[in-house]
Amino acid sequence: MASPLEQFVNNVRISSASGNFRELYEMIGKSEEVLQRNTVHLNTVLETLDIQQHSLGILAVLLAKFSSPQGNDVDRSTMYQQIHDFITNCNGEQVRFGPDLYADLCHLLTDYLIEQKQPIRGIEILKKAIRKIQLFDSQLTSIHADLCQLCLLSKCMKPALEFLDTDVTGIGSELGGVNDSKHFLLYYYYGGMIYTALKNYDRALYFFEVVVTVPSMVVSHIMLEAYKKYILVSLILHGKILPTPKYTSQVVFRFLKPLSLAYLELATSQHAALKHREVFVRDKNMGLVNQVLSSMYKKNIQRLTKTFLTLSLSDVASRVQLSGPAQAESYVLNMIEEGEIYAMINQKDGMVVFLDSPEKYASPETLSILEQQMAACTKLHQYIQEMDEQIQMNPQYVKKAVGSHDEDMPATSQKSIAISTYSM
Amino acid sequence: MFEMNTAEPMQVDVPLEDNENNETECYVVDNPTLDLETYAASYTGFAKLYRLMFVADHCPSLRLEALKMAISYVMTTYNVSLYQTLHKKLAEAVATVGLPDVAVQMGSQDIPVLDSMWVESKTKKAAIKLEKLDTDLKNYKTNSIKESIRRGHDDLGDHYLDCGDLTSALKCYSRARDYCTSGKHIIMMCLNVVKVSVYLQNWAHVLNYVSKAEGTPDFNEVPGKDSNQSILTRLKCAAGLAELATKKYKSAAKHFLAASIDHCDYPELLSSNNVAVYGGLCALATFDRSELQKQVIVSSSFKLFLELEPQLRDIIFKFYESKYASCLRLLDEIRDNLLLDMYLAPHLNSLYMQIRNRALIQYFSPYLSADMHLMAAAFNRTVNALEDELMQLILDGQIQARIDSHNKILYAKDVDQRSTTFERSLAMGKEYQRRTSMLILRAALLKNHIHVKIVGREPGPQSGEAPGSSTSLAIRSYETVPL
Amino acid sequence: MISNFDKLCGDLEKQELEAPNGVASSSTYAQLLAIYLYQNDLCNAKYLWKRIPQSITSSNPEIPAIWAVGQKLWKKDLAGTYHALAAFTWTEPVAHIIRALEERVRERAFNLIGRSYSTVSLDTIVLMTGLSREAVLQICRDKKWELHSDGVTISPTPPVQPSPLHTSSEDQLFKLTEFVSFLEN
Repeated sequence: MASPLEQFVNNVRISSASGNFRELYEMIGKSEEVLQRNTVHLNTVLETLDIQQHSLGILAVLLAKFSSPQGNDVDRSTMYQQIHDFITNCNGEQVRFGPDLYADLCHLLTDYLIEQKQPIRGIEILKKAIRKIQLFDSQLTSIHADLCQLCLLSKCMKPALEFLDTDVTGIGSELGGVNDSKHFLLYYYYGGMIYTALKNYDRALYFFEVVVTVPSMVVSHIMLEAYKKYILVSLILHGKILPTPKYTSQVVFRFLKPLSLAYLELATSQHAALKHREVFVRDKNMGLVNQVLSSMYKKNIQRLTKTFLTLSLSDVASRVQLSGPAQAESYVLNMIEEGEIYAMINQKDGMVVFLDSPEKYASPETLSILEQQMAACTKLHQYIQEMDEQIQMNPQYVKKAVGSHDEDMPATSQKSIAISTYSM
Repeated sequence: MFEMNTAEPMQVDVPLEDNENNETECYVVDNPTLDLETYAASYTGFAKLYRLMFVADHCPSLRLEALKMAISYVMTTYNVSLYQTLHKKLAEAVATVGLPDVAVQMGSQDIPVLDSMWVESKTKKAAIKLEKLDTDLKNYKTNSIKESIRRGHDDLGDHYLDCGDLTSALKCYSRARDYCTSGKHIIMMCLNVVKVSVYLQNWAHVLNYVSKAEGTPDFNEVPGKDSNQSILTRLKCAAGLAELATKKYKSAAKHFLAASIDHCDYPELLSSNNVAVYGGLCALATFDRSELQKQVIVSSSFKLFLELEPQLRDIIFKFYESKYASCLRLLDEIRDNLLLDMYLAPHLNSLYMQIRNRALIQYFSPYLSADMHLMAAAFNRTVNALEDELMQLILDGQIQARIDSHNKILYAKDVDQRSTTFERSLAMGKEYQRRTSMLILRAALLKNHIHVKIVGREPGPQSGEAPGSSTSLAIRSYETVPL
Repeated sequence: MISNFDKLCGDLEKQELEAPNGVASSSTYAQLLAIYLYQNDLCNAKYLWKRIPQSITSSNPEIPAIWAVGQKLWKKDLAGTYHALAAFTWTEPVAHIIRALEERVRERAFNLIGRSYSTVSLDTIVLMTGLSREAVLQICRDKKWELHSDGVTISPTPPVQPSPLHTSSEDQLFKLTEFVSFLEN
């Protein structure tokens, strides 16, 4: 065994034993080259280390092994099993010193499974991997995007929901800083697609909005695709394109809009669906466009319920341009079933009676919904307060706030609330 | 349909373009009851010329007469180019309409011929006068007597106006500004600028100078109460025109209603009859019932205006008395004449529509339910057309009601305040949660310095890709097409 | 036969995810697909159908038969649904899920009819419930839905809402206290 490699093993042992993981992490960064030059011996190295005690070391070796540029001669048949074992058995606290390495290993596995066309096999491992590295449930890691990608590719979306349904409040360090925003954008883009696939358009819109509003200096393809889907989902959900928030970057208006003209046109004219068919088909959005069209019928029927008490089915058909009373009846029936309108069909006379929502907001259910909603709001408010306190205790902030003006403290702390809650 | 190019000033200097513009706003009024002679007599200057030209463009039966009157009037000015334009129009009119009976009626000897001698001499005279005024002004300037310079500018402006060069006229009038020594001068300057700006249809300018005049410190101390009143009325009329032209009907109504009939002498822009019609219609379209009563019907000053237009007065009273059918019928009767009014025509449709809607809303306001057959009869409409109209009003939130299409009854909608409050607060809560969690995420995002930027080409497993280029993979394999 | 389908669903999902090479047994797929339909989770059913390897669907006719039902449900074609349900001889363990599914679809149909029609023809009910005219008439009598004198028109009555859940006043008081204390801080 070559001596630099031996030295590496020794370093891993010594640092791990003394708990000097930060130093070890730095050492690993420097020995990347050594490891990659000795891929042949890496299996031997693995045997000399213990998964629990030397998690960081093993992580570095595995990463070097499977990412080596001469990758072709490395045996990948054991890759799945090795990474699986590592993620299951490694020491979470230790690998948290090298979250970027840990995430890279997961990316490697993801790429491998996609290449092998077995994306579904990675879902369970990645779930485990995320839970292990997370400091808290609502922390986003760059592995999230991998999980969503595997879920989409395997058409098995359900497992991703437990992560998607949790609103993110913190972001893993490996996602930010010098690394580019790709994994962040991808997570929200894939997440939006999963929600769209499962017809949870409300959440989908939220996810696409996050992508579109990420601060940006240049246009990313992910943002462009997300913007197109944002338009479509917004149309399905609200019948119009909701404006993006004020903090949306300029590039959105300058570049994304001109690149999505076909989509914008859809908001004003249904004929755009036919006219720009090629664009929609090329973008793989035709399915959504069709749903936009059918939602327009529904929106129109909902408008009718606002204006009419009774209407004949044939009038419904002619007013929303359906083919005839039978089609109108089936639309109305489906909308009643989905709870989108309240109505009674009188089949004998061919009439529909539109009713007001029967909800009187007087039931215990209402109370419990109200309680839940208030609790959620309270929780959010408390979180904001915590954030504010953190900012106020941040030495940098204090220095800046006191240094620049010699105002009294209460005034500045008031300002900080405004800054932390509104001006982002 | 009656869209006029309000954005573009009428350019007399470029008559060809003018013709083209008219083609795009082609509608034709066949049976006006307008007495052209009286109509034209109410105006002077460009007001007369423009109005006659407008009538000529839109009313074939009055075309020849209008053009002839315009030509004879233009000959009293130095406006040679407009004279030529009018003759061209006349020639066209004769060529198209001149065939059977009209030619016989008019008698071809009636048609004035282009007098090129007149053109030549007028052009020469205008040039001489211009030169003289220019020299005068230069002399004043060397002597630097402020008052004379101001007058010199004004005279020059008047002359340009007389020649039909509006832009130069505007320039001269504006230049006089620096030589005003009293509030009165400033107001005169403003009035000049306002007048030319109206001709140029530069409405922002009009409003600007109206408020400038009103803001002049000694506006209220100008000697002679009468002249003061007359200035005020002029300013109100000009402002009303500008608001009307920019579709601000309610404030247009308020301006016109502030005019005083005894001091309404503004033939360069409009007649008292115009004030009555513009003000009355705008008020009808935008005022609620009590406003209409207080500011129009019992207004002692506007009552006098309405005396000039008895038909309109009847319309307003019928409206107030809720006799909508006859009110709407009368409105239809005066429609043709109003379409020949150059300032009103482009807005007539939307004003009529608003009046109609207001009538519908008022008709229904006291009812809990209304029979749509009766309502349709009251509004000269079929039940189905009424249904469409009502539907639009309900969707716009102007009528709180629902239509029973089966029995053709309109029912007032009782809003359950309690339920709507619940509904709204729940929606508000949801929105708060959405926004706040987005905010928290954004805070985390900024804290981690995540933003989309150009990535450097670093060595590594995923280098060399622009952010997002790998998305195509998933997009390709993903379809939302159901089944 | 009442089974806890939700729990079974979770187990089956786990089986699929942990299957070696990512391919589960045909029985797992069949049951899971049927359960998704039973839960009216058509989206997940659709994607499950799309991800089942072709080798399995082609060698196991029961799975395409289940999806044939799903397709009709997706199109909200109730008559077609009953047709598809009857068109295959189901085997255990799928059969009992299918029975529950049919039951549930019919129950939803009756519910929907009650909610959305003030008058409806007998034929429509027959189509929407997949029952014989006699059976429908019997159920209408049981539900006290009025049959008009013409013998074909029926006036359904809306289904009765299940009685609301009861919460203790102590619990409510606690929540109220918490809320007020939040407001005051």
